Amino acid sequence: MNAPAAQAALDASARAGVTIGRPAEELRTLWLQPDTQSRIWAHFANVTASGDGAADWVAHGPAGGEYRWQTQTDASAADALRWTSLDGADVANAGSLRFRPAPGDRGTELHLDIRFDPPGGIVGEAAVKLFRIVPREIVLTALYRFRALALTGEIPTTDHQPAARNGGTDR
Amino acid sequence: MRALCWNGVNDLRVETVADPEIINPNDVILKVRLSTTCGSDLHLIDGLIPTMKAGDVLGHEFMGEVVDVGRGVMKVKKGDRVVVPSFIACGNCWYCAHDLYSLCDTTHPKPELQEPLLGYPTAGIYAYSHAFGGYAGSHAEYIRVPFADTDCFVVPDGVSDETALFISDAAPTGFMGADFCNIQRGDVVAVWGCGGVGLMAQQGAMILGAERVIAIDRYPERLAQAAAFGATTLDYTKVDVIDALKELTGGRGPDACIDAVGMEAGGTGLQQAYDRVKQALYLETDRGTALREAMLAVRKGGTLSILGVYGLMDKFPLGLLMNKGVTVRTAQQHGQAYVPRLLEHAQRGELTPAALATHRFSLEDSPRGYHMFKHKEDGCVRAVFAP
Repeated sequence: MNAPAAQAALDASARAGVTIGRPAEELRTLWLQPDTQSRIWAHFANVTASGDGAADWVAHGPAGGEYRWQTQTDASAADALRWTSLDGADVANAGSLRFRPAPGDRGTELHLDIRFDPPGGIVGEAAVKLFRIVPREIVLTALYRFRALALTGEIPTTDHQPAARNGGTDR
Repeated sequence: MRALCWNGVNDLRVETVADPEIINPNDVILKVRLSTTCGSDLHLIDGLIPTMKAGDVLGHEFMGEVVDVGRGVMKVKKGDRVVVPSFIACGNCWYCAHDLYSLCDTTHPKPELQEPLLGYPTAGIYAYSHAFGGYAGSHAEYIRVPFADTDCFVVPDGVSDETALFISDAAPTGFMGADFCNIQRGDVVAVWGCGGVGLMAQQGAMILGAERVIAIDRYPERLAQAAAFGATTLDYTKVDVIDALKELTGGRGPDACIDAVGMEAGGTGLQQAYDRVKQALYLETDRGTALREAMLAVRKGGTLSILGVYGLMDKFPLGLLMNKGVTVRTAQQHGQAYVPRLLEHAQRGELTPAALATHRFSLEDSPRGYHMFKHKEDGCVRAVFAP
């Protein structure tokens, strides 16, 4: 299955949207909570966020490689959050989350854009190894997790449930 | 605990697995009192649905007793005897707010597996492959139930365990199919299939005021169950169904046709891998035949309600529907919208789902139950397991 990696090599940016039946301000506050970031990106990276908009990211590639970077979030715009990786990132990237009112009783549209900018202008080996899953999948899964958290206070999971494998529990 | 596990195509074994635990705040743990086979399980067992994993616990139609409660659960309490719909719904999203519970936006733990197939993820379901959520199933001593306040319904006194059991899936699926038909005074409703869902669709149509309900199948014991609650029966191996339906409706055709057949209709024994492919193609042809028959039979401007489980059918005579102005309604069950009224209908004796429980087994003996159910031995409509 080299297709996802190949696609990532060609396109290291991703965008996805979800609609969540909550006011934008509430969603913005939830997104900025440090614990939220670690929970919604758990499929992709360990995120340790501090309260001032800074976060440390550690992503694990499929071959066991470890990639680190730091981001700083700019929350000055009323209708969007933007973040960018700081100098020294293993995989440089930048993202934005825009909030738009959804029609009718549907709440708020969230539009998430992330660009994984390779150092030197071409997709580096590190990025290709990292993106065995396509970037859009990473982004969309994070948005779905955020939607679940915003609407229900929890993220659906089947970890640690009974199964006749791994000693009797799914992990 | 002990649980019936899928270990590969046609390889079911009762194994010892870990007990389920409260994971999220709105979870409860149920001690399973009864759990039953469903025709849709046969697709999994036969390997027709991908993304099963060896060791998955099977079963999605069940009822039991609450034995542990998460800290976020407000209404459900230990000791409650409850029935749980097979699709997991959060009760908080736009779809749940519009009674479209099987389309819930928040309960699929692996949306990235399903979104490419369907465009958007549906609700998660117990034990129906990882593309549909991968939740552990109910053919076990215990099961974890998320969003208990939305998904657990207390069974009232006077409703037996066996009656409540089928209000988990067969009854709400069938009743929803009848509800889709917007039944008016004088309407005739024809139902293809007299399995658990088909029989419940027929009773549902009667409760909703159909003038006449016509049940179509080939198995005498199933047709007898339909006849017992007043349906007119047709054995499709003995009559031309289209001709018979015209005869029964003065040439008008049924006002609504419900397909309660799905893939399981043609399910036969497991063959070699190559034969399985041929079997799958045969099933597709077979189920297409039933659905096309319903499409041809339905009156002009009538309703086609599709409850059978389908994959990706690539030959579908859309012109039949377009030129006849047929309304098509279909869904996986929105059970949470129907369970309360179904429990009331059952309490009043208007709905009799317990009759589906033709055969009982212990959990340890459940592989034999599936064999009997799959091959419809001894008139088996549903095999029920009591852990």
